Amino acid sequence: MHLIETIGLTKKFNGTVAVKGINLSIREGICTALLGPNGAGKTTTLNMLTGLMNPTEGSIDFHEDYSGDRRKYLGYLPQYPKFFGWMSGLEYVVFAAELAGLSKEAAKSRAKEMLELVGLAEGGNKKVSGFSGGMKQRLGIAQALVHEPKLIILDEPVSALDPIGRREVLELMKQLKTRTSILFSTHVLHDAEEVSDDIFIMKKGEIVVEGSLVKLQNTYQQPTFFIETEMEMANWLETIKQKEWLRHVKVDKNKATLTVENLQTARTELLSDKTLQELKLIKFEVAKTSLEDLFMKVMK
Amino acid sequence: MRSQWIILFKKEFRESIRNFKWLWIPTVFVLLGLMQPITSYYIADILEQFGGLPEGTVMELPPPSGAEVLTGTLGQFSQIGFLVLVLAFMGTVVTEKNQGTLIMVLVKPVSYVNYLTAKWVHLLILSLTSFVLGFVMSVYYTFLLIDTIPISQVVNGALVYALWITFVMTIVLCLSALLNSTAFVAFATLGTAILFSIFSLYAPDLMKGTPGMLATYSQQFFYLGEVESGFWISIFVTLGLILAMMIATIFLFNKKEFAKDVQ
Amino acid sequence: MNEIIESFQEVNWPLIAPILILSLVLMIVALIDCIKHDKTNGPQWIWILVIVFVNFFGPILYFLFGRRND
Ligand SMILES: Nc1ncnc2c1ncn2[C@@H]1O[C@H](COP(=O)(O)OP(=O)(O)O)[C@@H](O)[C@H]1O
Ligand SMILES: [Mg+2]
Repeated sequence: MHLIETIGLTKKFNGTVAVKGINLSIREGICTALLGPNGAGKTTTLNMLTGLMNPTEGSIDFHEDYSGDRRKYLGYLPQYPKFFGWMSGLEYVVFAAELAGLSKEAAKSRAKEMLELVGLAEGGNKKVSGFSGGMKQRLGIAQALVHEPKLIILDEPVSALDPIGRREVLELMKQLKTRTSILFSTHVLHDAEEVSDDIFIMKKGEIVVEGSLVKLQNTYQQPTFFIETEMEMANWLETIKQKEWLRHVKVDKNKATLTVENLQTARTELLSDKTLQELKLIKFEVAKTSLEDLFMKVMK
Repeated sequence: MRSQWIILFKKEFRESIRNFKWLWIPTVFVLLGLMQPITSYYIADILEQFGGLPEGTVMELPPPSGAEVLTGTLGQFSQIGFLVLVLAFMGTVVTEKNQGTLIMVLVKPVSYVNYLTAKWVHLLILSLTSFVLGFVMSVYYTFLLIDTIPISQVVNGALVYALWITFVMTIVLCLSALLNSTAFVAFATLGTAILFSIFSLYAPDLMKGTPGMLATYSQQFFYLGEVESGFWISIFVTLGLILAMMIATIFLFNKKEFAKDVQ
Repeated sequence: MNEIIESFQEVNWPLIAPILILSLVLMIVALIDCIKHDKTNGPQWIWILVIVFVNFFGPILYFLFGRRND
């Protein structure tokens, strides 16, 4: 079931169109990535979903089971989260929980649980003004999660972090997938590939490619074989040139790189190829090119 | 949701405790309240000693009356007191908006009415508490050192002045919610208050029935115990304006978009 | 001149004690807050001087303009 569907969602800022009539459908229970370069309109889109901006045109429909104020079912982490520095980490999360309607006791116990989850159990009593960037990001995730929203929306959750912080937050997101649906934006393909199930690629305010990660990989990734033998392969390669599953071959004496259409067929046929076996296999490796090619092509 | 209002109010209250606003602003008002009667007393004292020496010299300055001292106290409140209150609270919404903490609050299911009225009520409680403490001290010392006047006159005058404070503080809150810079908020609020006061002083007929006359009416209570016609019109006009400003601000605030990249 | 000195000697200390004490409270609170904060708007040592040497208005100026709110 779709948690959110937008139809023709558009946002104009005095003439310039930041988001051009996009149709998004966010599925429940999975992690969705909104991928695109800076200025693509990701933040604007997320702001419209949270209600912080009003769409110029188009509609946003939330799952009918969750009626009323959409904000009750959403948790949000802005790109640059800002907190009241005079509060402690715990105080802030309790405040956020109470705003969302939790009772005093429930807010407190949920807040502690969330801080534990994001790894801030220790720092919970420190003033937020003394937090590092990574701690603030994790505090931001804790406050977004505290009222058990159906969907958390994270705007570039790892972009501002150093490699270690980035790793931590990505791992945390993988963990969160079991609790709630996630929609996050990023300009880094690897982040999207690593944690998301569905991907929307945005460019200049439009969705240019969309689909599940698996589908995109099947469509756009090319399975590749790296084969190495003791003897030279040139003659053998002539014998498979006509196969319909083969797309491209590159050969260098006893090393070959084969790009194929269909991984399954290619693998079965190659492994049962008598001629190839007689060449004495040293290495037989199956790899997939990442979506990088697609991403680069789209972004041009 | 009443409970949400309480949460937001408590946040304002705690914030002002932690940054010492609840300590230093009342202290400033109490000091202002104390200084007026005490300096008046010593000035009278000194003048008396001077005046007392050469036989038959006519005292040029009579010792101030109680009403005069209380009026002087309100004068101090209207200058230093207002300056302090306006500067201390000009950022109450703007700063949260510009720093980006506001969107973190408004992205929760928070009613804009609760958000603004919680701030408004806290602002009024702090301002009026400071005023009352300062004024009570001033009255006490005035009665002790200078002169007494009927307590009902004092109370009436103070109530009218409290409404004037409420009006000015409402302007601070509304402008803070609608403008984008703290400097504009302070400038516009103080400008409005000063314009009201100046016109009321030099063209009282023109200003009849406006909030600008409230300070004048509180003086009339101190001096005469009664006020001229137009008093009740001023009161109701002020109450109406306060209500109208709050409603308009909530309406406009609802339409605003706060999302912006704050780095 | 003598009269002025006399009248100063006659100062009713219990009367002005509240003013002195409250001014001191204002100063001390501002001072502690200023020292406790790592960052102020503008150099910290100037604020300390302002708080200590500018009677009444010094602490007010610090709270209004010197204090960082986050
Ligand atoms: N508040 C705003 N006013 C005017 N233009 C804006 C505003 N917010 C974003 N834009 C413009 O809209 C476009 C998309 O911005 P944004 O949604 O922030 O992109 P992204 O998050 O993908 O980097 C940009 O060209 C940006 O300049
Ligand atoms: Mg962005």
